[in-house]
Amino acid sequence: MRTKDQTISLWLAPVTAAVLLLAFCLFRGFLPPLSPAMSAEAVASFYKENAGWIRLSMVIMNLWGIMLIPFYMVIVIQMKRMATPSHVFAYAYLGAASGGGALLALANLFWLMAAFRPDRGAELIQLLNDLGWMTFTAPIGMIVAQNVTLALAILMDARPQPVFPRWVAHYSIVTGILIAPGALAMVYQSGPFAWDGLFAFWIRNSAFALYIAVMFFVVRAAIRQQAVEEGVPA
Amino acid sequence: MSATMMDVSARLASAMPTPAPKAHIQYRRNSKLDQWICFWSIPVFYVFFGLVFVCLTRTMPPPSANVSQAGAISFFQSVAGVTNTHIGFALLVFSLGFYAMNNALVVVQMKRMEGVSQAMAYAYIVVLSLGALPGCMFIAIVYSVAAMRPDRDPQLVSMLYDMGMLSYVGSLGCFVAQYVVFVIAVLLDKRRIFPKWIAYFSIWVIFTEILAGPIFAFKTGPFAWDGAISFWLGTVVWVFWQFSFTICLYKAIKRQPLDEVVPA
Repeated sequence: MRTKDQTISLWLAPVTAAVLLLAFCLFRGFLPPLSPAMSAEAVASFYKENAGWIRLSMVIMNLWGIMLIPFYMVIVIQMKRMATPSHVFAYAYLGAASGGGALLALANLFWLMAAFRPDRGAELIQLLNDLGWMTFTAPIGMIVAQNVTLALAILMDARPQPVFPRWVAHYSIVTGILIAPGALAMVYQSGPFAWDGLFAFWIRNSAFALYIAVMFFVVRAAIRQQAVEEGVPA
Repeated sequence: MSATMMDVSARLASAMPTPAPKAHIQYRRNSKLDQWICFWSIPVFYVFFGLVFVCLTRTMPPPSANVSQAGAISFFQSVAGVTNTHIGFALLVFSLGFYAMNNALVVVQMKRMEGVSQAMAYAYIVVLSLGALPGCMFIAIVYSVAAMRPDRDPQLVSMLYDMGMLSYVGSLGCFVAQYVVFVIAVLLDKRRIFPKWIAYFSIWVIFTEILAGPIFAFKTGPFAWDGAISFWLGTVVWVFWQFSFTICLYKAIKRQPLDEVVPA
């Protein structure tokens, strides 16, 4: 097995993280996050005033947001190297990762559609904005499933020197727990669990970003280990 | 029954190749713990699924397809109960992750088949990862958005009402592809990982998906999204199928020899 493609995909992760961070900062709706309590008129005027920035940031996210998938697939390949009884968790991880990617792409389109004709009726802009935020924030089941299946695979890895160290399993579970309250954005429209709240926005997204950063080093170590094991240059 | 079991295990023994183990395979643990975890996620997922759709959000059986705008609003205001809709779909988006584990299990079992390439296993996981969005996630998003502001323009509430139900009852292709892929694999499989009858049963389920096609044209009668044929017949058949399929899956894992090496 070669490791060169894995190394390239690995380095796509920080590039993608940087691009997403850039898009995140350019989208005026994120810093601070738009409140679900805003009136339709307030939402419509936000899109009117910031249409250019919203388009720029969301096109950037559109172009590069899905580029995390190769990195996730490196994790799948590393999971398949683990001495687990079967590869069932690797396939579950793969399925969950593609589901999550589709949701990000959909949320991004809703925001872009809202910014396309901001002089549309205010209620329509508000609806597109609601759909964008709900799609972005609430359906966390796929990310949580990725973290849980990865954790289970790591814990069952019977190699003398595990592919990923055991603490990564615990860290994945903790991150999953921090991301899970995002689902409550479907329940609350104000407070810490609303889509602009402490848990559903700040903690959920920071936990995700930190997780990608940590996993970069974890995956890099695993690829190096694989290269040494198979006697190929990394 | 036991005769078939013996027949199957005899066939298993004769069909089992003994591939040369790769370096790392020798420290695989002889256990099926990971598959059992994924297996038990199936009942957990369907308990959530039933709780959410039947009890909390009252979207199963579906509300009427023949409603006025005011009817759609009152569905979100009172029929479902705003709080229940919210909590229900929050639970659903959380539990949908289990669905990925259910599907991965079928992939592993399909990879054990003989006389079938792994294309079918990969097709299976791709169509279901794809189908989760229109078939299940979309109604959760759209109905939560509708329920969060029932005082929106009535036309918009009514549109969200239709969008949710049409996507939930009317996402057909991903599931047709799932059954077709499964049928091809099971019928070609020389090892009989799954019995042939479940493949024939799956062909039946494909017909029920086809019978749900007319929901896009009818608002009343048996072909509406809450109709006797498009919804009830299809759902009853599907529930029986899902039950039988889960039992077949259980037996397939149970019969899998502990030391069997599944192709990577």
